[in-house]
Amino acid sequence: MAVKRLLMLLLCCGLFITGCGGTAADDAVFPEVSAPAEENRLTVATSHKKEVWWPVVREFEEQTGIWVDVIEGGTNELLDRIEKSGNAPAADVMFGGGVESLEAHAGLFLPYRPETDQEIDPRYRSGDGIWTPFSALPIVLIYNTKLVEKNRLVSWKDLLNEEFRGRIAFADPGRSGSSFTALMTMNAAVGEADFADRFADQLDGKLLESSGDVLTAVSDGSALAGITLEETALRKISEGANIALAYPEEGTSAVPDGTAIVRGTSREEAAKRFVDFTVDRDVQERLPERFWRRPVLKKTDAGVLQAADLPSPETLMLVDYDVQDAAARQDEVLMSWSFRLGREEAEQ
Amino acid sequence: MRRWFRTSFRRRMFAAFVAVSVIPLMLCLFLMMRVFTRQQEERERIEAAGYLATVTGDLEDLHLGLLKAGRRLNADPMIPIALKGGTVSSVSVNNILYSASEEVRSYASCDLYDAEGKLRYSTRSTARPAQLPKTRGILKLASENEGLVYSVTEDVTDTSAPLLRAAVRIFERNGETAGYFVAQIFQSDFRSMLEGKYGAQNELILVSRFWRPVYCARPQLAAELTPVLREALTTGTRPEGLEEGLAYSAAQEKLSGIFAILQRPQMFTSETVRLLQSIAMLALFLGCMTAFILSVVLGSQLFRPVERLRNAMGRVTLDNLDVQVETGEDELGELAERFNHMTAALTRSRTALMENQERLVRNQRELNEAQIRMLQAQLNPHFLCNTLDTMKWMGKIRGSDDIALMSTDLADILRFAISPDEFVTLEAETRILDRYIEIQKIRQSGALTLNLEIPEELKDCMIPKMMLQPIVENAILHGLDGGEPGEITVRAETEGGGTLLKLSVLDSGRGIPEEMTGPYVPPEGEAARHHLGLYNVDTILKKNFGEDFGLRLDNRPGGRGTSVTAVLPLTRGRKKAGAEDRRETG
Repeated sequence: MAVKRLLMLLLCCGLFITGCGGTAADDAVFPEVSAPAEENRLTVATSHKKEVWWPVVREFEEQTGIWVDVIEGGTNELLDRIEKSGNAPAADVMFGGGVESLEAHAGLFLPYRPETDQEIDPRYRSGDGIWTPFSALPIVLIYNTKLVEKNRLVSWKDLLNEEFRGRIAFADPGRSGSSFTALMTMNAAVGEADFADRFADQLDGKLLESSGDVLTAVSDGSALAGITLEETALRKISEGANIALAYPEEGTSAVPDGTAIVRGTSREEAAKRFVDFTVDRDVQERLPERFWRRPVLKKTDAGVLQAADLPSPETLMLVDYDVQDAAARQDEVLMSWSFRLGREEAEQ
Repeated sequence: MRRWFRTSFRRRMFAAFVAVSVIPLMLCLFLMMRVFTRQQEERERIEAAGYLATVTGDLEDLHLGLLKAGRRLNADPMIPIALKGGTVSSVSVNNILYSASEEVRSYASCDLYDAEGKLRYSTRSTARPAQLPKTRGILKLASENEGLVYSVTEDVTDTSAPLLRAAVRIFERNGETAGYFVAQIFQSDFRSMLEGKYGAQNELILVSRFWRPVYCARPQLAAELTPVLREALTTGTRPEGLEEGLAYSAAQEKLSGIFAILQRPQMFTSETVRLLQSIAMLALFLGCMTAFILSVVLGSQLFRPVERLRNAMGRVTLDNLDVQVETGEDELGELAERFNHMTAALTRSRTALMENQERLVRNQRELNEAQIRMLQAQLNPHFLCNTLDTMKWMGKIRGSDDIALMSTDLADILRFAISPDEFVTLEAETRILDRYIEIQKIRQSGALTLNLEIPEELKDCMIPKMMLQPIVENAILHGLDGGEPGEITVRAETEGGGTLLKLSVLDSGRGIPEEMTGPYVPPEGEAARHHLGLYNVDTILKKNFGEDFGLRLDNRPGGRGTSVTAVLPLTRGRKKAGAEDRRETG
């Protein structure tokens, strides 16, 4: 016992000594200056890449004087986090994420219509005001320009041609939100009941892990064609990849990503100002040039789109795509999709 | 563990030495390190504050200089006209611009933009946008706010673009916007303004009032570190991303809102701390070692004599009393000396003990001799008994009852005397006494009476066999006068609160000489032969119960006669023994 006590004493002495050095780290890093007051701050959860959110946030801060803290993460991860944080939400605003995802979590958000709501293209406008669109993201077909002749791929149905069998880059719709949207879009655009079955068959069992892989697969020639977002494709092309875009003749969808105010936020005013800011004309008109994204405002300057090689919205044939319906049917669609694919695998 | 200590004084001493040497050492080291770190931190903080004051002072000068330039440009009537595209000499406009921006020109590109955001005049030819957007950024801020506004770069690592823009709106006479005075500060400007002002080993990062990076001599550092520092500010804790061994201080330039953050290597880095810790640990180790050595040295000084004593004592317990221990001058030496005295004393007392034992053996021998003498008196008893029985029957046949009675009594007495029991009940003893008196009565023609004053409850007390008979005999032979009728009383009482039995034999004789009264003293020489009875009883009492017991002789108070008293421990006998006695004697 006494030995133990003696050892404890020695140990305490040791800790004493080792403890002496650590004191500086315990203090605040900046005791001289203080963080801005709570009411002048805003926490924004975003699934956008920093290159997208940073100019928006910086400009917002300077123009409004509101200090913005950004939480980065994947859409589902952030929605989860907000959901779990309950009455004291982890963020005041959710910035980014497909509106289908936001719609699926409608309970987390406070309906709000921005001041410039009337300027927003009705095709992108939210039915219930749960979210405010930020940029429109059409689904497009892409093909490798070195391996595929021009005009060989101009429609959804072209994908069923024999030359593309087993050479289509398509991400697993169970994992990729844009891939799910693409699946829903082609069904709506082609309008044939068995098209999805035939498309699944045409994939020949090949599914990619993530939407990012689609670009890589097509540009390195391991796939001839692929289905992805216009923004992603244009960005890749700007980097010099051998890829060309095709807008399907049957039409496509342009489901926007959105911004939503988290229900239960204590900084509603600041959150509203942020939402307003995301659809500010200046911010919107910089989207094509900088991010190859389509503005969601009605009267967008054609020159802005041209500068980024974006077809004007009038030439873009959009099918009727019901976001709420897609969100509601997500589980059902994914189940029958995996059933189809499963049958493929079983037959092999 | 406690046992480990309790069983060794040496270990306890070691522990005490360790405690005594280590605790003050630790306390001292701790306090020294505390004071040292605090002082060092304070010095560093003051130094950092000095650097930051210089930097914010420069930023303040810049702000005031820009404000002054803006005011002077606004005050000049020619500037709005020039910005509106009026016909003015560009040389004179430039002159105005140059003189207005004189104080700040070396640190910023001072430009005039018109209301549409188009660059009109500039003090530099370095790359800066010919067109600034009106709908965002600096011009929007300037158009919506009074006074000097600031906008920071989007990408701090892009050193070709201005890192900081400051702007003042220039008004027309009617209050409309004529254009903007925009100061654009590049990486090189900041560098020439601030270089060498914040310590060579330090890094300076300028951040906007929203803690977005503006300037750092190493732009990459600003880009990477600012988000972490911002987190440190908002959370109030030190984030994971902050490198160890670096300390930060910040100060705000109040007019522009720009913060200057100084990153300095901590003089008291974890390495220094580790070094000090190692030194402290070494000191701790040395303290322990010293404690150990001291405890060993002192211990052996203390324990060698103690060990010798211990060994000596061990030998003493093995009954070797001749042990002597080496003595010395200190307390332990004294102890050894005393030990030697003690063994000497033990030797003496052992000798005494042995003498005592010898005496005991002698006593036993004497007792045995007395008993042998008693036995000698009982020589050939069976023959005597049988003879007496024969005599009894012959007496009866011949009608001589006296002879028959005497023979019976004598046979009973003899049988009693030769019985193997050493102790008998008082009752049995008195019965034999009766027989004896019967004989004596016949011999002395009935002039003898025996009174027994024995309470019923004392009848089962155990006394040495044939103890009363010699006393009574003595009384008859020496106490009573030959011819006169004598009376002998045997009395039993308890004494000493019931623990002692007092037996008295009283006669009505002539008494004894005064010098014989008191405790019985065995007579010497010729007289011993005659008083063998009393002597034997006295010896038996003494040998059985101790020297304190024995006979006492007294003259009866207020009357004729002698009393012989025996006091002995009161012991009750068993009923069975009494029954045997009765059967034997009846």
